[in-house]
Amino acid sequence: MIGNIFLTLALLASVFSMAMYYFTYKNYNNTLKLARIGYHSMTILVIAASLLLMHALLTHNYEIKYVFNYSSSDLSTGLLMSTFWAGQEGSFMLWTLLTVIVGLILLEYTSRRGDLEPRVMMVFSLAVTFLLVMVNPLLKSPFNFIWTEPTFIEVAKLNSSILSQSFMSGFFFSDPGSGKDFVKVGPELVAILKANGISLNQFIIEGKGLNPLLQNFWMQIHPPILFIGFAMATVPFAFAFAALIKNEYNEWVKQSLPWMLSASMILGLGIMLGGYWAYGVLGWGGYWGWDPVENSSLVPWLISVAAIHTMLVQKKNQNKGIGRFVKTNLLLAIMTYVLVLYSTFLTRSGILGDSSVHSFVSPGALVYLFLVLFLGSFTLLGFGAVAYRWKYLNQKFNYEENVFSRELALFTGSIALIASAIIILIGTSAPIFGQSVEIKFYNEANLPIAIIIGIVNGLSLLLKWKHTNGKSLIKNSYFALGAALASTVLIVLFGNVTNFMLIVFTLTTAFALWVNVEIAYKIFKGKKSFLGAYIAHFGLALFFLGVIATGGTSETKQVNLAKGETVSALGYDLTFNGYRTIDNGKKYAFDILVKKGNNESIISPVMYVAEFNNSLMREPDIWSKFTKDFYIAPVGYNSGEESHSEGDGHNHGTSTRMVKGDSFEALGAKITFNTFELGDGSSEAMMNGGAIKVGAVLNVVVNGKSYDVKPYLEILNGERTYQPALIESENLKFELTSVEASSGSINLQVSNINGTADEPAVAEKEMKETLTIDASIKPFINLVWLGTLVMVIGYIISAFRRTKESQS
Amino acid sequence: MNNKYIFGGFIIVVFLGMMAYLFTQTNVAYENDFKNVMTTDNTVKATGAWVKSKNYHIDSEKNLFSFYMVDNHGTELKVVYKGAIPNNFESSTSVVVTGKFQNGVFVASDILTKCPSKYEEQFDEDTKS
Repeated sequence: MIGNIFLTLALLASVFSMAMYYFTYKNYNNTLKLARIGYHSMTILVIAASLLLMHALLTHNYEIKYVFNYSSSDLSTGLLMSTFWAGQEGSFMLWTLLTVIVGLILLEYTSRRGDLEPRVMMVFSLAVTFLLVMVNPLLKSPFNFIWTEPTFIEVAKLNSSILSQSFMSGFFFSDPGSGKDFVKVGPELVAILKANGISLNQFIIEGKGLNPLLQNFWMQIHPPILFIGFAMATVPFAFAFAALIKNEYNEWVKQSLPWMLSASMILGLGIMLGGYWAYGVLGWGGYWGWDPVENSSLVPWLISVAAIHTMLVQKKNQNKGIGRFVKTNLLLAIMTYVLVLYSTFLTRSGILGDSSVHSFVSPGALVYLFLVLFLGSFTLLGFGAVAYRWKYLNQKFNYEENVFSRELALFTGSIALIASAIIILIGTSAPIFGQSVEIKFYNEANLPIAIIIGIVNGLSLLLKWKHTNGKSLIKNSYFALGAALASTVLIVLFGNVTNFMLIVFTLTTAFALWVNVEIAYKIFKGKKSFLGAYIAHFGLALFFLGVIATGGTSETKQVNLAKGETVSALGYDLTFNGYRTIDNGKKYAFDILVKKGNNESIISPVMYVAEFNNSLMREPDIWSKFTKDFYIAPVGYNSGEESHSEGDGHNHGTSTRMVKGDSFEALGAKITFNTFELGDGSSEAMMNGGAIKVGAVLNVVVNGKSYDVKPYLEILNGERTYQPALIESENLKFELTSVEASSGSINLQVSNINGTADEPAVAEKEMKETLTIDASIKPFINLVWLGTLVMVIGYIISAFRRTKESQS
Repeated sequence: MNNKYIFGGFIIVVFLGMMAYLFTQTNVAYENDFKNVMTTDNTVKATGAWVKSKNYHIDSEKNLFSFYMVDNHGTELKVVYKGAIPNNFESSTSVVVTGKFQNGVFVASDILTKCPSKYEEQFDEDTKS
């Protein structure tokens, strides 16, 4: 496959570029040009390979394993494109692509700044090289063919006109567990197909498709943004390492700061987009669940924020002497990338298999080892270099900070962020040792840290660099302290915040908010490019207020809504008006009229059974107002007419499950499941693609008479039809709803021939259509989104300012 | 003494101490032997498989979901969960429930289901053995 050739060549070009940069660093002549050619060729090859993968996905090239596993023909173009990063292989490919492109900009950036390029780019190429090894054909290439290792493919995904041909016999297999038929697609079959002039793409006509949880708008945006953040986190590492090998520590901070800011901004945005996805579409109820996957991207973000603040101090100080916090800065810049790699290791190695909602399944021992090697190499490289220079660093950069100095306040803030990162990291890593922590652990441990951050956020801006006069500090804080106290009293009185820690948190957050507003107002008349930090901090304070409001005062209630009847819950009047089908009949939207006072709105949560995993999927709907969200998550639906006692409404587990020998009573009959009966020569029939029959022999005793009946299941070309058995004299109908030979069980539904199904217990009590929902009020959740947005704007302004400064 | 180290050290020591305390308070161990699950008073995360042949039961009035789980040694455990049946439950291969064993049943506060991402590979293994 050309894709694999491209990726292999790209790997060679990357290694070549890295070597040439090394020689340039060692003062060889003429190697710089070669290094650039190497990097540029590698970039072209990686982009070409990505385009090939995208093309294969868009043209449904199912002979490629990745395309078959993650896409299908019924997806919209946007979703089809997003299957690029739906699986392990593709998301590594995306990470590689984005890292390579970031490197291209970095090359341009460093080439204009003295002797920076070879030192930075040789480390950066090393990171690219590791990623390219990851996507090579032996590990996680997305270009491998489906047949190189024999794969069983469901007949429903294959071209039926080819299946019936004689040469196909011998390739059919049936799985008694699921009752599905498969074809073994391996090198032999491919050879036979080829001999008959059939290509594999004609044979495999449908892919497995995209997990329905991922089938929405945010899937197209959240992963790429997060991966841009991951890719950009490589840059501060490269700068720090470049400074260490030159043993010169002034320039790198200035040059690295805009990169650190942009990486941090994009990573943070990516994380919160994931939060919005979880809240608004996946129906997990909140934007943050302290899931390992969420945590493991939050930890490098926290470290990057800590790094920004201490780097700023160094930059400020070194203009007038020697920079501060040099060791801290080097370590934090290195940690940011190492933690990105650790995050990848946690979520991709399968080590969290049992503890995360959305970590990947185990990728195999080779990939596991390589991830360890990737993480280990960069950890050793980064910390090794710092250790090597430690003596020098310790002698040269050693000072005392004043208690009332902005330096110390910023340092304290960074340490608080680091403490938070360590706490989250340890909680998240606990499953490695067979332990885990409850969500309470994260909430309770981080709340006091957030309080400190609120104080330092406000205080550090009131303090002056180097030394502050105590009196002027007090004088300057009058306004913010007064405003903070007033707003806290208002929030506590009107917002029902009762928890003591939350009240303290509200106070410090309000303090930070007013300090930033005050300073921003003063600056606004002056140099606007200096506003970035204050805007970002203002955003953070808004975000914190949103967290306090939703975390402290959300209410949730489960409600049963009978159709047409109005029920009051949480101060809202809810009326369920029935369901309608959407998305070509694939999904059901349940319309609920929600009324409060004179306002009303139709909220329509969605439920459907996904073919992909044969499971009930639920999507929430939200009535969003500025001060609060009214959030409705569907729980279950009972049609009231048929045998849908289970609440999920779609024939799931509604009938009785029986194994051989079981008996039960229904509609006055005692039914015993004696044994299975297989249709004649079923294995032979199966080989020829003929029908397979599986019957259940039942003994029915009713009104003193005994009957034997055999409802059965017929499988023809992968399609299953259930044939019921009737006892007309007793008006009884027996129908199988599923057969599982592996566990030896059947699901049996008993009903009257002319009437309704047997569901006495439920049918009598609940004749009405009923929808069960979880209704919640999420006050001021909009502050969380608004705060994030404001923070991002602040970041962008700062990144521009620092980029300009880095050129001087 | 350097102010920087006093401030930084204080914060780190206080919070790591607090974390250690919270960790012991909120720590939940994984347990794959149901005999231990039934004898401990602690909250645990029991890992095992859903016993499909025993089906599951939903009590829509009390909003309870119950099913049976089995561990590697064949010990069975009845699990009761207050809430709706989780997405993906029916196709799950392994289940992790968090909760406590009380009065003969395991009362779960959380259910996590793991599904095979590739059914056919699973099938592959079955047929080989």
